[in-house]
Parts: sequence; C-alpha cells; structure tokens
Amino acid sequence: MAEAVKKQGIKEFITSIPYNKIGLKDLMSFEKTPRNIIIAVITFAFLVSFAVGVALYLMHGHHSYNVTREHPWGLLIAVYIFFVVSSTGLCIVGSLGDVFGYKEYEMISKRAIFGSIVTIIAGFAVIAFEIGHPVTMLIYNVLTPGFTSAIWWMGTLYGLYLTFMIIEFVFLLKHDMRMARIFGLTGLLVGLAAHSNLGGVFGFLNARTISNGVFYPTYFILTAFITGIFIAFIMMGIRYRLSFPENAKKMLTNLAKIQGLLIAILIFFVTWKMLTDIYGGMPNRSEVALHILGSWTFWAEVVLAMAIPLLIILKSKGSAIHAMFWASLGGMVGVFFMRYNLVHDTQLKPLQMMKVREYQLAPEWVHYFPSAAEIMISLGGLGLCILLYYVGTKLFNLDAETH
Amino acid sequence: MARYGMALDYKNCINCKACEVACKEENGILMGADKHRIWVGVKEIKGEYPLLDIVSSSFEPSQCQHCESAPCQEVCPTNATYYDENGVVRVDPDKCILCSYCMNACPYDARYVDDRTMTVDKCNFCSDTRLARGETTTACQATCPTKVRTFGDLDDPESEISVLLRTREHFSLKSHLGTKPKLFYLT
Repeated sequence: MAEAVKKQGIKEFITSIPYNKIGLKDLMSFEKTPRNIIIAVITFAFLVSFAVGVALYLMHGHHSYNVTREHPWGLLIAVYIFFVVSSTGLCIVGSLGDVFGYKEYEMISKRAIFGSIVTIIAGFAVIAFEIGHPVTMLIYNVLTPGFTSAIWWMGTLYGLYLTFMIIEFVFLLKHDMRMARIFGLTGLLVGLAAHSNLGGVFGFLNARTISNGVFYPTYFILTAFITGIFIAFIMMGIRYRLSFPENAKKMLTNLAKIQGLLIAILIFFVTWKMLTDIYGGMPNRSEVALHILGSWTFWAEVVLAMAIPLLIILKSKGSAIHAMFWASLGGMVGVFFMRYNLVHDTQLKPLQMMKVREYQLAPEWVHYFPSAAEIMISLGGLGLCILLYYVGTKLFNLDAETH
Repeated sequence: MARYGMALDYKNCINCKACEVACKEENGILMGADKHRIWVGVKEIKGEYPLLDIVSSSFEPSQCQHCESAPCQEVCPTNATYYDENGVVRVDPDKCILCSYCMNACPYDARYVDDRTMTVDKCNFCSDTRLARGETTTACQATCPTKVRTFGDLDDPESEISVLLRTREHFSLKSHLGTKPKLFYLT
C-alpha cells in the first residue's frame, strides 16, 4: 500500500476511490414492488427497535437484559457471534476469487468483502451494548493488555481484520488486484486467527466441560465457511432476483457442492461431539449434552442449517440453486440457533449446585430467555446490516469489473 | 508480603450467616444482595421420612477460592483481575469492562456484578479494609461464633493456618481443574 500511496499521495489516493455520488433521494428511489416495500418497512422497523433497545439499555443498563450471575452471556453475545461468523465466512468466500485466484469466484469477491465489512460492523454495534464499559475497553486493551485472554486476542485481531478488509475493498474498487490480494490474504489470515480465538473464548473454559477443548476453535472456522456460502446465495439471489446469468449459475452450483461437503463434515463433527459428550456419563457434560438433545433449538439448528440444505444439494447435485437460495435463508435462521445454542448451552449447568437460602430449591438448570431490549438490539443489528449493505450497493459497484 | 489463605472447619458451621452480615458491614456490600462475596451452601438431607440420612445434611461456607492459578485472572482481557503482593486475587474496577468472561470462567461462581459500579466484584479477603488497616484477620473470620474460619499466611510455618493444614486432613473444591485454590476445607 505504501508504494501505491506514495505514488499518488494520501489525499489523492482517497479521493480517487471510485464511488457513486448519491443523496437521500437516490436511496429512496428503489423499485416500489410490494416485496421491496416490505423489506424497506421491516428494515426501518428493525432500526427503530434498535434505537428503542439502546435507549432502554442506556436508562437501565444491564438490568434491561435478562442476563444473570448464573447466565452472564445472553442473546447479544450470540448475535455478535452470528455477525462475526458471517463476516469471516464472507471473507473466505470473497478470498476464493481475489486471493486464491479462482476466476469463476471473482464475480462475488467485491460483494462478499463488502458484506464482510458490513456484518462485522453490525456485530460491533451489537456487542458495544453488551460490554458494560466499551470506552474503558478501548483504553485498557492497549494500556494493560491481557495476553492470556482469548477475548483480548479475538477483539484485537477482529479490529485489525476490519482494517485489512476495508483496505482490500478499496483496492478492489480501484481494481488494483495485486494489492487487493496482499491485503486480502493478510485479512483472511488475521480473520481466521480472530475467529478461532472466538472459539477459544469457549474452548478455554475449564469450568464448563461441555465447551472446554479444541472443538469450538475448529468448528467456528468450518461453520464460518458454511455461513459465508449461505450468505453468498442470498446476496446473489437478491442481486439477480433469482434470474441468474450463466456464470452465476456455474459459480453457485460449485459453491453448493462445496457446501454439501462442508455440511457433511459438520454433521460428522457434531455427531462425534455429542457421542463423546454423552459416552461414559461424565458429570456436568453428559447430562448437559442429553439436555441439549432434548431442546427444540438444537433441532432447529440441525434441520435448518444442516438437513434441509444437504438434502437439496444431494438430490440436485448442487444444481438446484433456486431451492438453495430459500434453503440458505432458512440456513441462516439455523445458523442463528447454532450461535444461540452454543452460548446458552455453555451456561446451562450451574457452577454452584447448593441452595443458599431456606425454602429455595437446589439449582438445577439455568433458565434464560432474552428480554425485549436484547431482542430489539439484536433485530437492530440485522436492520443495520441490511441498511449498510443497501447503501453499499448504491454507493459502490459491487459487481465484478470486466477485464 | 504474605501468601494468604483460609482454612474452613466447615463441619462446625451452623449456618447462622453472621459471616455474610460481617462481610457486608465491613466491605460495604449491598444489603439483601444474594450470594455476594460469601455465602453458605446447604446440602439437603437425603432420603425420605422416616429413613432420613441425617449426616448427609451439611453446610458449606464458600467464596472466592483465591486460586494460585485463577481462571478468572487468565481470561481477563484488560488485566483488571490481578494478584496482589499477598497472592490475593483482586479486581481493579477502573479497568473492568464488564465483559463477564470471568463470571463464566470462575468454576466456583464466586463473581458477581456490583450494581453501584457496574463492574465485577468478588471477595478480596478484606484487603481494602482490614488488611489495609494493618489487621491480619478477615471480617467473616472474626465474627464466626463456631470458629469455622482460620485466615493466615500460608508461607509462615508458625501461623495458625499452616499448623492446621499440617495437622488436619483437608480438601479443596474442584481441585481437579488445576486452579490450586487457597481455601482449604478441613475434614
């Protein structure tokens, strides 16, 4: 970058980033079909709910959430993970073309990289209202870093990752593929490190035998790729309104085949995780695993994110891309439950199992259901994501440029 | 410089909760706050009337175990949780960002959110109060009517706690996790 910037000067480098000059009028000038209007209204409603949720949080702090001492991490952590997993996944999908040089995937690179920026910003917007003191975090993350903390590595690396993704996107806009490749590869490696550290946040919890171990750091990378492909289908489906040109059909068919393999590996992973958790009846692990098997949210994850997409891919050998668009929408709901489950299931078993007051029952399972404020901020994150992506489609040319 | 620990002759505990009250009074802990800093766990009597297993009922006073290898300290992203010069695991509220990772990582459920500062708090062996004044006892120990608690320097071979640990059998909670707690339950 230094070379390119030196040649042009920073000011000229920034001012020469290609973008479309748009105003509010341009943003409102979408085709007024019923579907578009519904999406616009829903997005607006989500953004309003974000504002209300944040207002509730600012007035009542963490008391506006249903998090407790026994269940300190709630929906917002799950939604943050959902967004950053999406970001890492999109980064992987975007890298197929512009980093690894697979020509057929170049048509989605710019869109995917922009998507990865948008989703991680949405993730940061959500987590900012979960961390009690975000400004203190910015200060003491630098002044007194906790190098043994997976959260420190995850947060710091994600910050770097966002920077690299933005620089890569700028070079993609400028069609400087060599620099885009350098920053893309760096961003990808930093993103993967950040993401596996996010898995490590759970994997390092010795006290929580259900999560402790190597499973989550690797599982997070695998599910990120799966999530990235789901979103790639959704983005391309919306871009072409399900009337895909030939090159998009070819790319999506190939992506579907990769997705089939990844989901099969995921099913293999989850099956063995469950078996090893249950086998031998290890206290605090097997009973939690059995409890998970009895929860509908686990089966929502299995059916929506694994079974349905895999069946469609196997039946059509990856060519049913219309069906895959719809299955990807359902898949993202499944991925949401995947994130919610991993956060909630980690905290299912109380760490202190004795009653401490008279007439109290001994603790059994920790119950949690998100509060209105948590739900509103989470939906707001989704609204923010849709809004930023929409603005991006107007502001930048996200299609591949013809060489 | 000392290496403070506590021995608990827990079978002497009568669950009077004087320790909880003394802790609140000494350290300014919110009244009515459940399970803040210290608590007494109750093991229910097993069996059904009239075949009740009376000895199965016991009280287990508990609090932060002041681990030598504290998971809460390892996971803290800003080093707000630290070991002081006496080996006491403490929290610097100015650095705490309330990410709650320590609450999830502590195997003993010893951490809670202080609603006044909105930071995570825990037992600090009265370091801000009694130890800071030069005393060498904790409030919970001083008030206990059945002398369940013995607080002292583990590095001093002549201290009461060192003698107790040499002469009485004892165990630590969840020691298999490798946390090396400095709370010892005498049997």
